[in-house]
Amino acid sequence: MTFDLLIGLLSVALLTATPVLMAMLGETLTQRAGIINLGVEGQMLVGAAAGFAATHSSGNPWLGLLVGAAAGLMLSTVHALLCLQLGVNQIASGLALMFLGNGLSSYYGTPLVGQQIDGFTNMAQGSLAQLPLIGHFLAQLTPTVYLGFVLVVLCGIFLYRTQWGLIWRAAGESADALHMLGRHPGLIRLVAILIGGAFSGLAGAALSVDYTRTWVEQMTAGRGLLAVGLVIVARWNPWLVLPVALIFGLSEALSLRLQSTGADISPYLLGTLPYVVPLIVLLLSYRASQRGTAMPQELAGVFRGMA
Amino acid sequence: MTLSNLQGISSRLTVPVIGAAVFLVLAAGFFYANGYAPLDIFGQILQGAFGNAFSINTTLTKTIPILFCALATALPARMGLVSVGAEGQLYFGALIGTAIVLHWTAAPLWQLLPAALLLTLLGGACWGAIPGMLRAGLGVNETIVTILMNYIGIQLVEYAVYGPWKDAGNLGWPATIAFPDSAKFPVINIGSLSSNWALPLAILIALALHILVEKSRWGTGLSLLRSNPRVAKLAGLSYPQQVIAIMAIAGSLAGLAGYVQTANVQSHLQPDISSGYGYVGFLVAWLAGQNFLRIIPVALIMGGLLSAGDALQLMAQIPFSSTLILQALLFISVLSVSAWQQKRRNAA
Amino acid sequence: MKHRILSVAAALGLASTIMLQPAYADIGVGYVYVGAKTDGGYNQAQDAGRLEMQKAIPGAKTNALENIPENAQVSQAMQRMISTGDKVIFATSYGYLPYALDLAKQNPKVVFMHCGGAKLAPNLGTYFADMFEAMYLSGIAAGKAATNGKIGFVAAHPIPQILQDINAIELGAQSVNPKATVTVVYTGSWNDPSKDVAAVNTLADQGVQVIGVHVDSPIAVIGAAQKRGIKVIGYHFDDMKFDPQGWLTGGYWDWGPIMTQVVKEVEAGTWKSQPVFGNLKSGAAKLAPFGPSVDAATRTQIMDKKKAIEDGKLNVWSGPIYSQDGKLLVPAGSTLPRPQVDSMDFFVKGVIGSLK
Repeated sequence: MTFDLLIGLLSVALLTATPVLMAMLGETLTQRAGIINLGVEGQMLVGAAAGFAATHSSGNPWLGLLVGAAAGLMLSTVHALLCLQLGVNQIASGLALMFLGNGLSSYYGTPLVGQQIDGFTNMAQGSLAQLPLIGHFLAQLTPTVYLGFVLVVLCGIFLYRTQWGLIWRAAGESADALHMLGRHPGLIRLVAILIGGAFSGLAGAALSVDYTRTWVEQMTAGRGLLAVGLVIVARWNPWLVLPVALIFGLSEALSLRLQSTGADISPYLLGTLPYVVPLIVLLLSYRASQRGTAMPQELAGVFRGMA
Repeated sequence: MTLSNLQGISSRLTVPVIGAAVFLVLAAGFFYANGYAPLDIFGQILQGAFGNAFSINTTLTKTIPILFCALATALPARMGLVSVGAEGQLYFGALIGTAIVLHWTAAPLWQLLPAALLLTLLGGACWGAIPGMLRAGLGVNETIVTILMNYIGIQLVEYAVYGPWKDAGNLGWPATIAFPDSAKFPVINIGSLSSNWALPLAILIALALHILVEKSRWGTGLSLLRSNPRVAKLAGLSYPQQVIAIMAIAGSLAGLAGYVQTANVQSHLQPDISSGYGYVGFLVAWLAGQNFLRIIPVALIMGGLLSAGDALQLMAQIPFSSTLILQALLFISVLSVSAWQQKRRNAA
Repeated sequence: MKHRILSVAAALGLASTIMLQPAYADIGVGYVYVGAKTDGGYNQAQDAGRLEMQKAIPGAKTNALENIPENAQVSQAMQRMISTGDKVIFATSYGYLPYALDLAKQNPKVVFMHCGGAKLAPNLGTYFADMFEAMYLSGIAAGKAATNGKIGFVAAHPIPQILQDINAIELGAQSVNPKATVTVVYTGSWNDPSKDVAAVNTLADQGVQVIGVHVDSPIAVIGAAQKRGIKVIGYHFDDMKFDPQGWLTGGYWDWGPIMTQVVKEVEAGTWKSQPVFGNLKSGAAKLAPFGPSVDAATRTQIMDKKKAIEDGKLNVWSGPIYSQDGKLLVPAGSTLPRPQVDSMDFFVKGVIGSLK
């Protein structure tokens, strides 16, 4: 009985967490290169709208994910232009992007409201669902959840086990060191922003094409902005992105589950859980590790050089 | 007028003027690409923002919370702190201020309003001080803490108005009882223009902050803390203390925005007291370059844009989301021009 | 002299224009929606009413503003509509009430119609309909379809209308399956598809086999229910096309006749402020069409009960009704007084959920 309970919680948590996870991965890569992009929310929204539109007209959810990623990437070019080319402050630029993505997706997404798509074929009928014990659990998951796992592994391996990952991290720690190595930090940062945009767009598309299969204005409900912050909770480590995103998802799943057992707690107080829990985790991690050593130095510079 | 005077003025005007020009071009492009006549739309925006008494009053109403939230962003920014928490501080300040109004409903204006304002300031200060303390004590990044606390603050207000503070006479609509006039900022009427005393209060605070931060020793200390913390420490300034103080003051300012919205605009505490004013305030603070004087006109312009949004939807059948796009375009334009000018200066 | 002739001519011209106007001249009718008018839910139902009214009264010119939140912004929106000459304003969302009341005071020549309100003014009337009768009937279908007796409900917020829906479903289900339960999960938002889906999944993990819903747009819930293979009871709008296999039945609004009546009365000058209440019988709150999985016997049973309600022989709130903790609220032979229905703040026995 408790096994079923845990499995149920886990599956709801994974489904909820996957869009946040993908956005976090993208932003982790971006921040590791020394750039912060608060516009993840806007990129997720355009990805969600574009992905939904693509799936609605083509009937192909994979195409939807691809188009969503492309939309997020295109929006992120604005951030790249502003920050890299013109030297605009990154925090400001990111927030402008949040407004822009929000406005564009709402504006062009109007005809999409009230539509529904089929999304991915139901995995409950697939072969994985036939496995004993965990089959029922696996049946709830969708392709994007598995995609999320794959992306975590890819990012972790890339950042920590490849030559390019080393250079990437160096770009985030010290642009000067990179120059000395004969590499171009600007180029790496550009790629970092674009990849972050693609991941955010993918995350948004996962939300609309796979998870909810609908489109509503502002449907990310702040999860993109949250993802940027959760990157810090995950100490800029792609491997930790999964557990942190899962903590967020579990908090939400738990608050809903507590309600469904008839617990006499206000749903609104329960609704603070998904934010209080990451906050506590953040505090604990700051106390445990040494202060600020994990933050990429170039990123710290962004926060110092205000106004 | 000497040449250097003219040069000084013209260089200061470059950013706003060219920035505005870039914005108009981008906005015109957006409208044109979607089948609207840009000049018509601009006309309607102006009309909807400042065209008649109703529009101006709407603009002023929206300017007040934007102004407070912008101040709540700019002050920490002067110290190098990136606070995105105005939205949550707005809600929490309103929550605490409402508490006294509900318990002391029959009190006269000169007692109730100051008490409510005091509690609002305290509430906002607490909500701002928490990220400040975490930053000062543990070095926790204040951006993420303020983001998380925004959501918590909103949830707490929802808890209150769906639960213990819900007005039973309203058949389930989530809101408190109506605020008595004695809890509201007194109204100011000049001809057909109408606003309330929160507006001059906000402007006064902006001016005061400007003088304090630009001219006083304390302000210099803040700059020093941001640019060179080690020297600041040698000079006797305590980084932790200043961080907490600044975040608390900022929080209380945003809290005032919440109270004005609750008492004067909505007349009830309810779930949607803010239309994202915390984030718009952040935009305004940045557009104004964290300068407390410049924040005032920029907040007014943003208020006008938001006010015009409804007019656009009605008159031109353009969805309200277009205002978001316009805000973003304005922000991007001014940011770009400002940065470009900076680059030119550095290169020269 | 010339001045005189001109003014007389102008007066004559004006008078003839007025006299030659057809009886139903262009009347401006404004609508304000809290969401999108294509949402397949609450707002689309209101808009469907607008379209019906438009067809019935060709001379009416309608304006619709979407996505206006329930705060001071709606004041500004309605004000702008009035300034373009609208003579009737439909404030379609409950939270618009205080703002509508204020504007009604300032604009005595404009007629306001508020949906769901309990307050009237000389130029502000209200319209609403009881959906709980359709929910009771849907509860019967749910009780039959849920072989383990477990029904779930995705609710936005704990307000009386939603509590009525939940209780009615439970009572209806209990009438065919005494062991039936309804588990309630609140999403805390009228419009958050992500939360809706998580709520459905949570309920499905608890073993529910039928889901009811009351959020602004039920589409996400219907989609998620389809994925988990559980049946669904619709709300606000007939959304069977989104899940034909899983659709049992549900409730949907038909506001057209009420809206048409109001506008006709305003034009004729006979409109009076009053609460216009609809229900199953009047046709404002209809039972949705049955899905293919509802068998003939159940359909007959439901239609019989439907007739009984319409004939006044069956009252949904007739005793015995027990509260969640077992107290007897309504003894057998009596019915819950109307004011207590309107301000419902309890759950009946068999409902699993918090009231906060």
